[in-house]
Amino acid sequence: MSALDPTVAGQLAEDLPPDVFRTIIATFEEDLTRLVQELRAAYDSGDQDGYERAAHSLAGAAAAVGAVGLEREARLAMDHRQPEAAITVLPRLVAEAEGALEALHALIH
Amino acid sequence: MKARILLVEDTPTQAEIAMAMLRADGHEIRHAETAGAALALAMEWKPDAILVDLMLPDFSGIELMRRLKAAQVAAAMIMLTAHGSVKTAVEAMQEGASDFVLKPYSAARLRVTLDNALEKRELRQQLDVAQSQLGRGRFHGFVGASPLMQAIYRTIESVAASRATVFVTGESGTGKELAAEALHRVSPRAEKPFVALNCGAIPRDLLESELFGHVKGAFTGATDNRLGAARAADGGTLFLDEIGEMPAEMQVKLLRFVQTGEVTPLGGTRSEKVDVRLVCATHRDILSEVQAGRFREDLYYRIYVVPIELPPLRLRGEDVVLVSRHLLGLYASEEGKAFSDFDAQAEAAIRAYPWPGNVRQLQNVLRNAVVLHDGALVTREMLPVPLLHEAAPATARAAPQRPGTEAPASRIEPLAVAEKRLILQALEHTGQDVPRAAALLEINPSTIYRKLTAWKQAG
Repeated sequence: MSALDPTVAGQLAEDLPPDVFRTIIATFEEDLTRLVQELRAAYDSGDQDGYERAAHSLAGAAAAVGAVGLEREARLAMDHRQPEAAITVLPRLVAEAEGALEALHALIH
Repeated sequence: MKARILLVEDTPTQAEIAMAMLRADGHEIRHAETAGAALALAMEWKPDAILVDLMLPDFSGIELMRRLKAAQVAAAMIMLTAHGSVKTAVEAMQEGASDFVLKPYSAARLRVTLDNALEKRELRQQLDVAQSQLGRGRFHGFVGASPLMQAIYRTIESVAASRATVFVTGESGTGKELAAEALHRVSPRAEKPFVALNCGAIPRDLLESELFGHVKGAFTGATDNRLGAARAADGGTLFLDEIGEMPAEMQVKLLRFVQTGEVTPLGGTRSEKVDVRLVCATHRDILSEVQAGRFREDLYYRIYVVPIELPPLRLRGEDVVLVSRHLLGLYASEEGKAFSDFDAQAEAAIRAYPWPGNVRQLQNVLRNAVVLHDGALVTREMLPVPLLHEAAPATARAAPQRPGTEAPASRIEPLAVAEKRLILQALEHTGQDVPRAAALLEINPSTIYRKLTAWKQAG
């Protein structure tokens, strides 16, 4: 399954000039790095609110660029009622983030 | 439609995308990451539209819209949400959102939603302006909601920003000075002086000094320098009332002033540049004065640039009642009386009377009724007899006067004697205050000055 929803990511690439699209990918990359760090830190310190807030922001950023897999994992992480433990969701989420970035970079080229 | 857009979004990626889309459409954009920052920015920057993310770090987008609405922020609000539930949409609309956009969105979707919201806002604003203009019962000192007065208010607003000379005409008592003041207050000169000079009320020898000032020693009695109305009004508005009364030699000097914008005080040698917006007024038909050779044609063309003709009270329909109620409230409060309204007969009499002296006459009649009587309602009996005659049925008015009702011959006196007696009586009553005496007699102050001069010359 592709890491990106082509209707969202493709539309963005079409709507925006290439240099602007590149800037957005760079901002997304920065967001990912920061939010995954916040997510890990919140998990390590047992800060449930912080964990859910970071997951929510991650889901929003992912949705904006059409990173559907990442968005799905982030929404799982922000839902405290879901049965999976954070320890199992986090590695999947990081993997999805890397996959989304790769796919976005491919879109630029 | 290019507009000022405030984007409230805490996720940098989303903010970046929205800003890129908005920028591509030529909008001016500001960005706030928190609801608190957005609230402050909205108050200070006054955006045309606000795009609000539903989930914000400090408080929700719904709560932000509630607070923006409470703060009377007039921007169109659009909710940005990933939660496409009907409940969220309804809640957002209830809090004042024009629309909502589901994330993620395309540039086209954002553009259409934003354009619709901005168009709706503009239409609402136009409607508000139109409604407020249609229903304006008051305007910078004027009281009146008739279509004729609405047109006057609109004209005043339209010409206020210009420097063009305005020429106000209208019968005595229609509010020519009020129109000049309104024009000044609505204009960009509002913070600068408004100086009024009644050309008919000032003896001709003094008019030049009153208008252009004088230097010490310019004439006997000129013990100090005097600024004069033109220089006193520098940066503001100079209102020349009863300009039709201006002597011919002064008309030449005024023409020079209008042409050059320069003032030379009486007895002075140096001219001085002044920046005034000139408003002139007269109760006379100024064109007839030009044709009769009493008013300079070149000056007429210089000052008759934007004419405003104030309608007489008899043509203003229901305004006579509005103005009467306003004046009654004012005078009752000033005189410590309990009057709050008119009874039906008094109101009918006020409506029926043609008010040849316009609002000034109405002021005198109502002041008189309030001062001389007491009660909660002004009744027909409290109004002066001529007014009641006019209000009486036409058949009664047309009835010939029986000889027995005429005044006895012994009380009849020459008109000139009666006139002098009444003017002197009014001056004595007002402590020699000419404008007040003139108002009580319902004549122009210039008439009193002319009469006084004539009586003095006649010895």
